[in-house]
Amino acid sequence: MTLFGSPARVFLAATALRLILLAYGGWQDAHSAVKYTDIDYMVFTDAARYVAKGESPYARDTYRYTPLLAWMLLPTAWEGAAPWSTLTFAFGKVLFALSDVLAGWLVVQLLVRCYRFPVERALRYVAAVWLWNPMVANISTRGSSEGLLGVLVAALLWATLTKRSILAGFILGLAVHFKIYPFIYGVSILWWWDAERDGLAMAGSGLLSKALGFVTPSRVKFTAAALASFVALNLVMYIQYGQPFLHHTFFHHLTRIDHRHNFSPYSTLLYLSAAGGAETRFEALAFLPQLILVVVAVPLVLAKKSLTTAMLAQTFTFVSFNKVCTSQYFLWYLILLPFYLPSSSLIRKPTLGVSATILWIVGQALWLHQGYNLEFLGLPSFVPGLFLAGLFFFAVNVWILGIIVQDGGDGSGEITVAQK
Amino acid sequence: MKQRITFIQRVDAGFDPQQAVLTASSLSIRSLDAVREDRITVGLDELPEELRAVLEQSHEFHLRWASERSFDAVAPFSSRVSPGLHVHYTPLQPESSSEALCALLRTVVGPNKDAQYKDCSKLEDSFVTPPLLSTQFASSDSLQYYTHLPSTQSLVRYIQNTVCNQSRTDGPECHTRADALLSADSVDIDYDSISHALTVSGLWTSPPTGGWTDQFQKPASAADQIEFGLLGADPGLEPEEIKMGGLLAVVGQDEKLKPTMFSFPSRHQPLTEPSSYAVSFAPPTGLHPTMSISMPRSSLKRPPAPSDATCALHTYLTLPSTIFGDQYQLATTDPLFLESHNLVALRALAGEMDLEAPDWVVQRWGSNWLLELATPLEAEDAATTPGPSNWTATIPLHLRYLPPSETGHRTAYIPWPVVFWACTAEDETNMGVNPFDRTNLGWDSLFGPQTLFYQLQPAGGRLVEEIDVPVLRLEGGDGYFQSKYIEFGTCVVISLGFMWVLWQLARVAWSSGVGNTRTEDVHDKKE
Repeated sequence: MTLFGSPARVFLAATALRLILLAYGGWQDAHSAVKYTDIDYMVFTDAARYVAKGESPYARDTYRYTPLLAWMLLPTAWEGAAPWSTLTFAFGKVLFALSDVLAGWLVVQLLVRCYRFPVERALRYVAAVWLWNPMVANISTRGSSEGLLGVLVAALLWATLTKRSILAGFILGLAVHFKIYPFIYGVSILWWWDAERDGLAMAGSGLLSKALGFVTPSRVKFTAAALASFVALNLVMYIQYGQPFLHHTFFHHLTRIDHRHNFSPYSTLLYLSAAGGAETRFEALAFLPQLILVVVAVPLVLAKKSLTTAMLAQTFTFVSFNKVCTSQYFLWYLILLPFYLPSSSLIRKPTLGVSATILWIVGQALWLHQGYNLEFLGLPSFVPGLFLAGLFFFAVNVWILGIIVQDGGDGSGEITVAQK
Repeated sequence: MKQRITFIQRVDAGFDPQQAVLTASSLSIRSLDAVREDRITVGLDELPEELRAVLEQSHEFHLRWASERSFDAVAPFSSRVSPGLHVHYTPLQPESSSEALCALLRTVVGPNKDAQYKDCSKLEDSFVTPPLLSTQFASSDSLQYYTHLPSTQSLVRYIQNTVCNQSRTDGPECHTRADALLSADSVDIDYDSISHALTVSGLWTSPPTGGWTDQFQKPASAADQIEFGLLGADPGLEPEEIKMGGLLAVVGQDEKLKPTMFSFPSRHQPLTEPSSYAVSFAPPTGLHPTMSISMPRSSLKRPPAPSDATCALHTYLTLPSTIFGDQYQLATTDPLFLESHNLVALRALAGEMDLEAPDWVVQRWGSNWLLELATPLEAEDAATTPGPSNWTATIPLHLRYLPPSETGHRTAYIPWPVVFWACTAEDETNMGVNPFDRTNLGWDSLFGPQTLFYQLQPAGGRLVEEIDVPVLRLEGGDGYFQSKYIEFGTCVVISLGFMWVLWQLARVAWSSGVGNTRTEDVHDKKE
């Protein structure tokens, strides 16, 4: 026992892992032409330098994020002598890594408080999936901002499950401002947060009273807070940076045509149609299956049975059906796994769990092999290689999604504690 | 019309007075072993209407074409540009319409089978603005264009169809002169609104088999003139000077060839010791080819510039839109990165810098990069270490996505960059007095007007690298790789996936509705 018996030990180990990686990263950056630091981090810090000079962060090409990120990284723009500048440069990475640990801590708290997990069991799952996951630690210490999303989603869940509707709304607004996709969680939370959940009287059975009964104080406060924080943040940024802010933070992501190869099943089709070789415009409808499932079907069927499983299914669907998919997107659903896995059929039936894991890895490996052939060997592996690998990976994801949906229907990952 | 015919003989080339004979009406040469430059200057009023219309809108117009065959450039013609067609253009009025020049360009480039040719419908779309490093060097042009062009055939045809047919008397002569451009190693066309004259220069660095045999007739019109020179070049007294000596004559005017000797400062200087470089892309190139510029260490001796001059080795890349550098990667000051590539710094860049756009979205022709290269340490040199005899600088580059093709490949043509030493000259030398001065090469304007340039000679059969770019394979007819299979396949798989998830959700809704489950979590209790 012992190792997972004490939260302090688990969190110290997680922090130590990140500190070691940070130090190692600093060493590799200083001694090798191949850098540990992620290329995106250079974009963030360049943008922060522009901000420090009183210019727009969008002066940096390919800065496609909220100015908040550049503001947060302002210390990286501080000039200084050698050891000092190394420390300021790492400020953002430290921030991202701390967010990681904080996200893990929030998930542990939720599992223990709301899901009545014994501390040891909660720690074991969170450590395995998130805190001690080398991929998570690696991504944030290399300077990718996905760790911030992790803490925002964990905080959103924490505020929701502890019934702080206004705070939850604010966090949601901030998260959507940061990365658009968390808006999908708003739908699930709204549907989940019914009168019964608040311990209020159930509405009558008539259609009108049901419709009126949908409007509960919590839902109103949550929605208003979310809209207020989202609008306020965007307004501030728009006043500060104008059209480039809107363009790079939102419109770019909505209108981009990702013709370059990626894990998405649409990838080959998008290359084809961007080059003008497609007869149909099927990809123009790609948002339909994605949004029908993510915004309507999944929340409607699953949210009230298990909020966290519904959110996991939503994220999984969003990523699988998206027109663009890179490996950082996989991090999005990782933070939700500790809620789902303990009672999932993937753990209950080891054969199923092992098969799902193996198939997912095989799907990745097949694709990566074709991607390597293209990117490094220059082989024209778009068809059939990458095309089929992308579709196969999609099929595996959809199959796993079916399992998550079924588990969600069985109430896996649902709060077992009586409402307050 | 003025013609200037210059032959430059190498020191070791033999010469017999019988090889150049001047009479009252003509000059004939026989089996002359020499480098040849023909320069024809034409007044604006002697040009066809359509060409005149374009030039009248130009403040400056400079066209530079270099062959992709390797050639030896000798003093005073030692400057180089990357093989292909370069256009430098400054309009008289910034907002003047540019469609006429585009139409002209399209004729000169000809019907290009090459998919990567950036058509020019409007200058502002396909031309790039070169960097202006300092207002002090205001010689930079405002617009610049480049395209891969292996042969001047369509240019020659254009000259024959328009310029030659315009002139009444010397039509056949004009056709012959134009045809000769087909074998030239480089062709320059210059116009500026101050002189109101168009100059066409052709350079042949090696004679045809058996040497040059030609006859130049006294021009029929008194307004026309043919100057002839048979010269040899030597280093001048000052390091920035070139000394030339030989015979000069104006055909029909002079009675005999006049011996002469003169010297002048020249910005383009020959390297006294043979210096060469070779360019290659190490296979497999993938989507991220790395350009290697490799030079024998013996090639990297400091040029014979004044001892107080600062010299640095540079390369100037002309990259078509199919291939590009990452300006953030290359502009880094990280010594580890720069050392690992033997680079010192990125000094200037211009043109298409988008890191993500596919080639069919990019409208401008491409980009230019001026990089300073590292050179081996003197100490290393002196020790004559038995290390690798070649010094190699590498430049990491990236390929754009190209349109699908039937084979799954398309070819990107990348001209060899020029590699040269740039040395700051000591004082206010006026380089413009050089009768063979050459400017507007793209890279020269990135340095101060007093800079001396020493070119390394490209050593290779062909000065254009071909890179196989993997693309989406699409076949017509009844092949396996058809666009409809991709469209249909994606559509079916996504739809099936969508239905599957919906079905799973429907099963859940069917068995337990959409409301809350109130079942206790049984699995929890197992713990």
